[in-house]
Amino acid sequence: MTITSRAGRRAGRSTPRRAALAGVAVATTLALTACNANAPDPTGGETTAVQQGGELHILTSSTSINWDPATSQNLAITTLGLVERRLTSWRTGPDGTTEVVPDLATDTGTPSDDGATWTYTLKDGLTFEDGTPVTSADVKYSVERSFAPELSGGLGYHKGLLEGGDDYSGPFDGDELDSIETPDDKTIVFHLDSAYGDWPWIVSMPAFGAVPEDQDDIGTYTTDPVATGPYRVAETVEGTSVTLERNPEWDPGTDDARTAGPDSIVFELGQDETVVAQRLIADSGTDASAFGASFVPPAQLAQVQQGPAKDRLVTSGPGALAYLAINTEAEGLDDVDVRTAISLAVDKNAYRVAAGGEISGDFATTLVTPGIPGREEYSNGVNDAAPEGDVERAEQLLEDAGWSGRELRLVVQDDAPNLARAQAIQQGLERAGLTVKIVPQAADVWTETVTQGDGSGYDLTLSSWQPDFPSANGNIQPLFHSSQVGGGGYNLARYDNPEADELIEQATEETDADAAAKLWVEADKLILGDAPVVPLIYTKNSFLHGSKVENFRIPDFPAYPNYLQVSLSR
Amino acid sequence: MTLVRFLATRLATLAFVLLAVSFLTYALFVLLPADPAQLACGRPCTPERLETARAFMGLDKSVVEQWWDFLRGVFAGRTFGSANATLTCPSPCLGYSFVRNAPVTELIVGRFPVTASIAVGAAVLWLVVGVGAGAVAAVRRGTALDRGLMIAAITGVSAPSYLVGLLGILLFGFTLDMVPVAGYVPFATSPVDWAWHLVLPWTVLALLSAAIYTRLTRSQMLEELGSPYVRTARAKGLSERRVVTRHALRNAAVPVVTLFALDLGVLLGGTVITERVFSMPGLGALLMEAVGATDVPLLVGVTVFTAALVVVANLAVDVVHGALDPRVRHGGSSR
Repeated sequence: MTITSRAGRRAGRSTPRRAALAGVAVATTLALTACNANAPDPTGGETTAVQQGGELHILTSSTSINWDPATSQNLAITTLGLVERRLTSWRTGPDGTTEVVPDLATDTGTPSDDGATWTYTLKDGLTFEDGTPVTSADVKYSVERSFAPELSGGLGYHKGLLEGGDDYSGPFDGDELDSIETPDDKTIVFHLDSAYGDWPWIVSMPAFGAVPEDQDDIGTYTTDPVATGPYRVAETVEGTSVTLERNPEWDPGTDDARTAGPDSIVFELGQDETVVAQRLIADSGTDASAFGASFVPPAQLAQVQQGPAKDRLVTSGPGALAYLAINTEAEGLDDVDVRTAISLAVDKNAYRVAAGGEISGDFATTLVTPGIPGREEYSNGVNDAAPEGDVERAEQLLEDAGWSGRELRLVVQDDAPNLARAQAIQQGLERAGLTVKIVPQAADVWTETVTQGDGSGYDLTLSSWQPDFPSANGNIQPLFHSSQVGGGGYNLARYDNPEADELIEQATEETDADAAAKLWVEADKLILGDAPVVPLIYTKNSFLHGSKVENFRIPDFPAYPNYLQVSLSR
Repeated sequence: MTLVRFLATRLATLAFVLLAVSFLTYALFVLLPADPAQLACGRPCTPERLETARAFMGLDKSVVEQWWDFLRGVFAGRTFGSANATLTCPSPCLGYSFVRNAPVTELIVGRFPVTASIAVGAAVLWLVVGVGAGAVAAVRRGTALDRGLMIAAITGVSAPSYLVGLLGILLFGFTLDMVPVAGYVPFATSPVDWAWHLVLPWTVLALLSAAIYTRLTRSQMLEELGSPYVRTARAKGLSERRVVTRHALRNAAVPVVTLFALDLGVLLGGTVITERVFSMPGLGALLMEAVGATDVPLLVGVTVFTAALVVVANLAVDVVHGALDPRVRHGGSSR
């Protein structure tokens, strides 16, 4: 997960990814004061029959869309998914569930070799926008090119999983990745270093689409991709707009993930979030057929909740986990009792008020987030303390542990929302006699401090995390496996417990979903028992759409609207 | 001869300033603790992949080498990558943005018309309004009209463009529904829509800047109108209108033109806030995007381009000065 405080605002390679993936949105969460947050049911009611036709407008603050699957971090259900299909995709149900469904492939994958080999067969009749058939070689080439240094920056989970991936540097010099086999035009086989039960989710990522090698120009694929989905890029006006039109070669009969309601889709780029919110509130002209791709800014959120546009505000369910990470390698913090004391001293309620109040999220108690299959609520005597904390117990624990009383450095990104949250943490901890110094750092400096090097620059830090795919694996492995300490990994607590590592590896290799879920819950309990982090809230995001927009729904995961099913009324 | 020498000196200075700016920009961003390769590394990012990204982006070289590559690229173009798949950045190459996957020159060329449309339109508007109001206020010195104009000018100078812009959008865009609230339509697509979308940004920018010109023109005019040659002109029996326009205004114009050329140069480099408020994809917006994404090549390219505009504007000021005021043109050398 990218950790950015500018989620959704930053000029990205692709429109929604920043906002979406950056569930992280620590800062984007809403600094709202009024909070009569009776958010409408995020998942809506029944699926209305999908109306065909109309021109959908998507208003985004990003100023460009990157269509190159190799360098994109798009979710399966947003921008790129409209144009480029992958081996698998996500289908979100009206009840909020998200499941992995076959897309280019006939199923979500057949494991063999205990889950270290995955085989896919392509559906019949799939073609590119020019009518040429999609073959397994196109998929293989698409995956291979994501390894090239020319095309870095995308979601790269597969690079560390495929056999030989660490030493492969792309197909442009004529090298092939031998661990991807294409015995015939329809079949593609992936050989992994070790068993990986969530592989069906991995192949829903952008790189697992199809790119025809003879039409690949890496300088222009960014703006001019070859479509396999219901839409193709019709026109791009640099910095202004991107228009999609129907791809006549797309066959709805082969597609379970997309409803392709609108005849055309216009991305209006570089829009100011405040102006977008005002336009959607006013709901006039084409804005009635529009939705905003960024979170509604706090000021407008208050305005919307009291006005007629209230019915058109959609707030997600609890999504990303916002947490306080405790550097388990720092002096004194290697003592689990001290970390438990910190967990008890934190005032989650004050944190949530600083984050914008009730509409900004629900109190968090576990590491696996709501909406992830197999999640279990549990209490370990610490995570179920009152949201305001248990200062008395914290003080007692600190005294028994012989805490030195040294100053703790709370390193956070230097922006108003993060500073407000940091102050809430500081004040909470000071109640138990802990001294906290807030150290603000520019976003990229912060990333360097907490993800690179030896971690000597911080004692505590605030972050938030939404997995890239809805599996507990995405909640836990990146944040708590010892291999993710430093070196760009997001184990910010620098948590290193061989027992937890083993459990994570065991759960990762488990191909039976239910059995895996049980193991992840076990890992959740084991890790949280060591208190490397304090779960604070599960954040919620709010979006606004025009009055003609239908089927605008946010599933339980991700806390972001599904573009593939949005349609327009007559 | 003197004119040639004048221009040669100025052009040499110009080149030197641009070299210095480009080097300083490079040095500045390399000294920062931020790592642009981090973003290009993708997720998850292993140390090995980070190294590969750094090497590919040329970040493993020294500042001087990177700067030299940049300079060479301006004249010779650059290519990145291996034999069978290359990213090319044709001359004049102001760098290659790995974040945007496009040559910086191409991005600037794409965005410049937007900024130029905003800047030139607003500049014309404020020059006409500002100089006109200033001249009128000076001629009608002490009247209610003068005081009214001066109050308006002070208000204009003090108002922040962000506020005025948003208020303008709220009033004329939403409440009165007279003009579009956001977006840019290329001139080639529809000149009418182009102008229609720009009316509000032009007005807001012009309103704020015109105030400065009103005050400047007024004070210059008052000075000129009180000087002996104006008295002589009047004594010769010239009409008041001719005295004001041909004599006083022309001489009062020298500092105004100086300021105008510099303002326009700066404005052409990007009207950051205006572009943001009105959702216009200009150079200012591009710069903000570059900052947000730690896109060093784009930052350097846009900075150098902006610096070039300001330097060229300076040169233009000197030349125009010469035209308006012969003393400058001939310098001390002919006397």
